[in-house]
Amino acid sequence: MHSLSLDKLLKILLLECFNRKNFIFIVFVLVSFSVLFVGLNWPKKYTSFSIIHIDKSNILQPLMRGAAETTESTDHVANAKEIIFSDRIMDALLENIGVLESEPSDVELALIKQKIKGGLSIEDVGDNLLKIAYTDSDQDNAYLVAKNISDLFIEVGENSKLEESQTAYDFINKQVDEYLQKLITIEKDLSDFRSNNPDARPGLQTEISNRISKLQKDIEDNQLLLKEKLIKKQSIQNQLSGEAAITISQTKQGKLREQMAELQTQLELLRLDYRDTYPDIVRIKAQLTDLKKALSYEIDHKNTAKDSDRAKDESYLEDSIILSPLYQELRSNFSANETEIATLKVRIDALNTTLQNEYEREKKIFSGEEVLSQLTRNYAVNQEIYQDLLKRRENARVSKNLDEEQKGFTFKVQQPAKIPLLPTGIRFLHFVIAGLVLGIIVPIGLIYAFILLDSRVRHSSIIVNELEIPVLAEVCVTTTREDAKRNRINTIILIVLMAISVSLYIYIGWLKYIGQI
Amino acid sequence: MSKIEDALNKAKKNKINHTPDVPAVIIDETVATPQVLSDAKLTAKSQVLSSKKISQMKQNVSYESNQLAELKIIHSDMGDNTIANTYRDIRTKLLRISKGRNFVAMVTSVTDDSSCGLTTINLGTAFSFDESKTSLLIDCNINNPQLNTMLDIGNTSGITDYLDDENIDANSIIQECGIKRLRLIPVGTKRESATEYFTSLRMRDLSAALLSRYSDRFIFVNAPPIIESADARILADLCDFVILVVPYGTASVSKIYDATLSIGKEKLIGVVFTEIPKILKF
Repeated sequence: MHSLSLDKLLKILLLECFNRKNFIFIVFVLVSFSVLFVGLNWPKKYTSFSIIHIDKSNILQPLMRGAAETTESTDHVANAKEIIFSDRIMDALLENIGVLESEPSDVELALIKQKIKGGLSIEDVGDNLLKIAYTDSDQDNAYLVAKNISDLFIEVGENSKLEESQTAYDFINKQVDEYLQKLITIEKDLSDFRSNNPDARPGLQTEISNRISKLQKDIEDNQLLLKEKLIKKQSIQNQLSGEAAITISQTKQGKLREQMAELQTQLELLRLDYRDTYPDIVRIKAQLTDLKKALSYEIDHKNTAKDSDRAKDESYLEDSIILSPLYQELRSNFSANETEIATLKVRIDALNTTLQNEYEREKKIFSGEEVLSQLTRNYAVNQEIYQDLLKRRENARVSKNLDEEQKGFTFKVQQPAKIPLLPTGIRFLHFVIAGLVLGIIVPIGLIYAFILLDSRVRHSSIIVNELEIPVLAEVCVTTTREDAKRNRINTIILIVLMAISVSLYIYIGWLKYIGQI
Repeated sequence: MSKIEDALNKAKKNKINHTPDVPAVIIDETVATPQVLSDAKLTAKSQVLSSKKISQMKQNVSYESNQLAELKIIHSDMGDNTIANTYRDIRTKLLRISKGRNFVAMVTSVTDDSSCGLTTINLGTAFSFDESKTSLLIDCNINNPQLNTMLDIGNTSGITDYLDDENIDANSIIQECGIKRLRLIPVGTKRESATEYFTSLRMRDLSAALLSRYSDRFIFVNAPPIIESADARILADLCDFVILVVPYGTASVSKIYDATLSIGKEKLIGVVFTEIPKILKF
């Protein structure tokens, strides 16, 4: 059919339906009775279910909190399925519901198991509630299976809970033992180390380093002192050689010259009053000459001594100088200084040796301490964990005992299974209604589809719109009285047949309802 | 208009009923001379005479309303006027197109369907409702003649006989058909190699003569389906215009389109969409 507005289409549909009322009737009867037939043979389904409350908490979790993380299992449905579909529960169930009494073959058993698994539905209905439902064509069967499955599930669940706490305890116990062993090993290692390294004691290193620094300081001090003494030695030496010049005046020559100068002064004074012939003057003159002679002698003597000394490479010291008290003092100072220098040198050497020894010792101590601190650290950590585990083991023991005593606390039957009174799923009444509805919809739908698919022109507007040819007139079909009569008879027959078939339909439905079919 | 017409018809009927029955003798139409036939231009005198001639047309038998209803032909006192009024509308439209002059209209269909013949008859009948007009139906559907069956007329000589035999007079093939002011030329008895008949000059002359003889005569040619028959296309050339009958739910748009192409846009004046189903009153 070509583009037509909905109202035109519906008008055509109405006309076609009227013209094809026989077709509609036949299809109605076929469809509705077919659906009714299906409904009659549709297997009834009964569902029995129980709701179980599951305590979510995992036993290992609170025990191990803070120490180790456990994997959290939240998918109850999957867990429950795993448990329920296990052979353990299935076999127990088959025994409980008495299937095994008839001694079925393995294949039959497998088929029965498959059927039960197919009818079972496990769903999470929220709030830690698990719904275990079983659907079967038999009321009692549905109830029996649902009840047994939930009982078995709880039983197995409780046992698994116990097992869980037992496992937790065992696990922690094992851990405790392991750590104890570790501690013992470390303790042994420590004592071995200590006996091998008696020096090894905490704080030794500091002590040694303190000592080293003290030694270093001593050496430095002594070296300074030595330097000082060396300088002092130098200066005394200088002083010793300089002293000769200072004491020159105090030597014989000096005395002679002093005497000569004194005599000269006396002579000058006398000459002021006397002539040169004055005896005193003559005496003084003679004295002066003597003194001059003595002086020249002295000078000669000294030079000779100097030369001979120089030849012997010795500082020339006049006897008078050597005999001077100052010189004597300097000499004694010098020798005292020499002694100190020697002492200091020996001391510095001794200190250096000690320092070297201390260095050696420090090296040895350093490696030993590393081992020691590692051992000590290991010991401390393991001891801490061990003590913690000991506490946890006690907790686990308590939990285990609690589980043993409080059996049935984690799984509670919230709603026990009941014998289902009404079937679930599509019921017969649904088929009855669907049959009637489909019986009407199908033929009309078929006619509608035919109108839509058929390309033949059913409305003049198509000719006008698509071919642009004027339509002079639309003429309805001409009917004779005979046609009208035939139509009337046809309609009456249809109404009667319709009444009969609908009555039959309802009668069959009623029979089924009261259980006669 | 229809009411007035009905009233007139009733008055006429009463009048006929009062007058004694006319003897059952077929009185021929006033036979025109060959000179008149060949002369296409009608004189004013003959036009004036024509109305008198209509009243002179004799009717040996007339169908009753119930008989017409059985034949599915429209009549003036139908219970439900819808169909009759529809045909009256078509009549008005055709007259408007022809500007009041008489014409030769061909009625053809897309598919071979009885609705074409019925539409032809009803169109003729609608024109004959008017007392000042007569109509003539020519059944040219040689392979499937419908009109004589529909109008319950026996197998008499018709158009094929006329075209086949030059000695046959045109008047002798015009048959009465029980409806006032409606005449019929049936297919006739010679029904082979039809195409040859309609291409003949005699056919052309006949239609011209029939048309020109009475200015108030409207001629309707019942042609075979346009797509299937060459006759229909030949006839379309002879006619003033073509009416295409499309029955409900029988032809696709493409088929109708093919039909319009065969007819030609200038001849086709429109479609009569027939056989629309209706919900019958119980």
